[in-house]
Amino acid sequence: MTETTVNETASAGASGEKTVAERPTNVLIVGVGGQGVIMVSKVLATLAQAAGNQVKQSEVHGMAKRGGAVFSHVRFGRKVFSPTIPRGEADVLLALEWAEGLRWLPYLNRARGVFIADTQRIVPPFACRNRADGAPLGYSRETPKDILAKVRTGYALNATGIAESLGNRRAANTVLLGVLSTALDFAEKDWLKVIESFVPPKTVEVNRAAFLKGREWAERHADVGLDEDVDFSLPSPPAVEPKRPQVFIERAWCKSCDICVKMCPERCLELDEKNIARMKAPERCTGCRLCEYLCPDFAIRVLRLPAGDSQQEVRP
Amino acid sequence: MNERADPQKLPRDGSFEIRDWLRLELMPHFMCPGCGHGIALRALLWALDELGIDKDKLAVVSGIGCSGRTAAYIDANTFHVTHGRPLAFATGLKLARPDLTVIVISGDGDSLAIGGNHFLHACRRNLDMTLILLNNEIYGMTGGQVSPTTTADRFTTTTPFGNNEPVFDACEVAKAAGATFVGREATLQTPNLKDLLKHAVAHHGFSMVEVISDCTEIYGRKNDLGNSPEMILAQKSGMRPEAYRNTVDQPFRPNPFRTGVLHRGDRQEYLDAYRARVQAVQAAKGGGK
Ligand SMILES: Cc1ncc(C[n+]2csc(CCOP(=O)(O)OP(=O)(O)O)c2C)c(N)n1
Ligand code: SF4
Ligand code: SF4
Ligand code: SF4
Ligand SMILES: [Mg+2]
Repeated sequence: MTETTVNETASAGASGEKTVAERPTNVLIVGVGGQGVIMVSKVLATLAQAAGNQVKQSEVHGMAKRGGAVFSHVRFGRKVFSPTIPRGEADVLLALEWAEGLRWLPYLNRARGVFIADTQRIVPPFACRNRADGAPLGYSRETPKDILAKVRTGYALNATGIAESLGNRRAANTVLLGVLSTALDFAEKDWLKVIESFVPPKTVEVNRAAFLKGREWAERHADVGLDEDVDFSLPSPPAVEPKRPQVFIERAWCKSCDICVKMCPERCLELDEKNIARMKAPERCTGCRLCEYLCPDFAIRVLRLPAGDSQQEVRP
Repeated sequence: MNERADPQKLPRDGSFEIRDWLRLELMPHFMCPGCGHGIALRALLWALDELGIDKDKLAVVSGIGCSGRTAAYIDANTFHVTHGRPLAFATGLKLARPDLTVIVISGDGDSLAIGGNHFLHACRRNLDMTLILLNNEIYGMTGGQVSPTTTADRFTTTTPFGNNEPVFDACEVAKAAGATFVGREATLQTPNLKDLLKHAVAHHGFSMVEVISDCTEIYGRKNDLGNSPEMILAQKSGMRPEAYRNTVDQPFRPNPFRTGVLHRGDRQEYLDAYRARVQAVQAAKGGGK
């Protein structure tokens, strides 16, 4: 058996499929930040190294929910060359947030990969792009059932809820480690030893319990991979009475400064042929009032009237 | 009164209606297009409205300048007094009528140059009133002379080759002189400015709020700072965490500024101290005869 090269690993197709022993194990851990992605990957890397593997780990921690990414690649095996996992080659995808799991799904190997995700959802600002009253969220609508049908082995669990029931929601990452432990070949006591060496002394107990809970959950749900009774309906937008924003412009007071036109987030306004502010796209207006706040001449009044109310513009 | 502007005839949705607080017969106001002072005036009136201040119990005193002129548009008791002296006037007013809410609107020239002396002593005395210092870094009304807050290298009529003088940080000066509430906000963040002003007016003692405002017509033009929207947006680039000071070159306002409540002190308020002394003296004399 000769040493594999990075290229071969990456291009191992149907003909050249390597045996488990020669191929590194690839674990991709993703989240939104602040949840312990790095802690999970450190535990795994340390554990794999202690078991005699060569380990490579690389990470990016930007702000995932602001469009950046928080992820960590852990690769271990007899010999590991590249520190990053090629697309479609992850043996395990571990997501600390639901939509992040879906975002990275293309990295999971569909034939042998294991998908593990917390079902908790942290809705990012850019899922709220439509700022109108009652607008639906732009967050993924796929349910755990939909996703688990697409992967070979999958676990979707409310890890945050489990951690919360143990008294510390921040131990959700350790619950997921418990699930991960059932997919990899290390002994339970070794996992616990490494976890205990990584967490703050005060939280050893809760992390230990979290790990065991996660492990036990995975064993219990080995066949379906999810709690059937979990309600995964997306939170509907807060029940507000739909308001119809209306913008009144006091033409006699407008001094054509252009502030409202340039500052309106929805680009609703324009200056007319006399350089007076005018509403050009009322259907886009969300009633945010920014134009009203910033007009130095008090020429703009934004009213959020009940949808049925048909107040007419009272000015010429 | 301008018939079209009758507030009674306006549709309402329960939100703040500035027309309730304006002398509508004087509108539109005299400020240039895009002048930040108008936005600051809105924030002030909005704050007073939310605080439920009674107009008859409100006294607004202002000095001379475009900033000072804003008081004239407020439908309440307003006093437009000598350049640099609104704090002195307001001190007398508050001592005579402690039941009034006293607000002073002033400019960087008005309060930090000609009125610098009164500024220091008002901070020191800690009498319960609120100073709103509209800082546009220039003497706007008189055509654009350099002021104590004009940023280095800026052009004004009196610094045709760029300003050489170091600036005053109004908030630091106020804090050092003893003001018990010091804050700063930019007109760009109108709701935040409104909230800051609410805290300042509610504070028992002397409050100073510096408002970063834009003189679009004179300062903006002379220094090629863009049109009104560009100027107000540029306020954002000046709001920098401490760490960036000295490292990031700001296009428009090279001095990064911090916003929000910057200082709260707990010295005794002037009138409280005064009353305590009166009582003590009367007690010593055997019952105030
Ligand atoms: C005693 C006196 N000195 C000078 C003047 C001329 N003067 C009028 S406004 C002004 C400067 C105002 O500057 P600032 O307070 O910054 O107000 P801004 O116009 O910039 O808002 C000066 C010097 C005056 N009116 N009275
Ligand atoms: S309220 Fe004004 S700023 Fe906001 S979307 Fe409507 S027009 Fe634009
Ligand atoms: S902000 Fe006010 S004054 Fe300026 S263009 Fe708009 S309506 Fe006119
Ligand atoms: S001169 Fe400057 S400060 Fe005065 S009203 Fe005009 S823009 Fe505003
Ligand atoms: Mg000024």
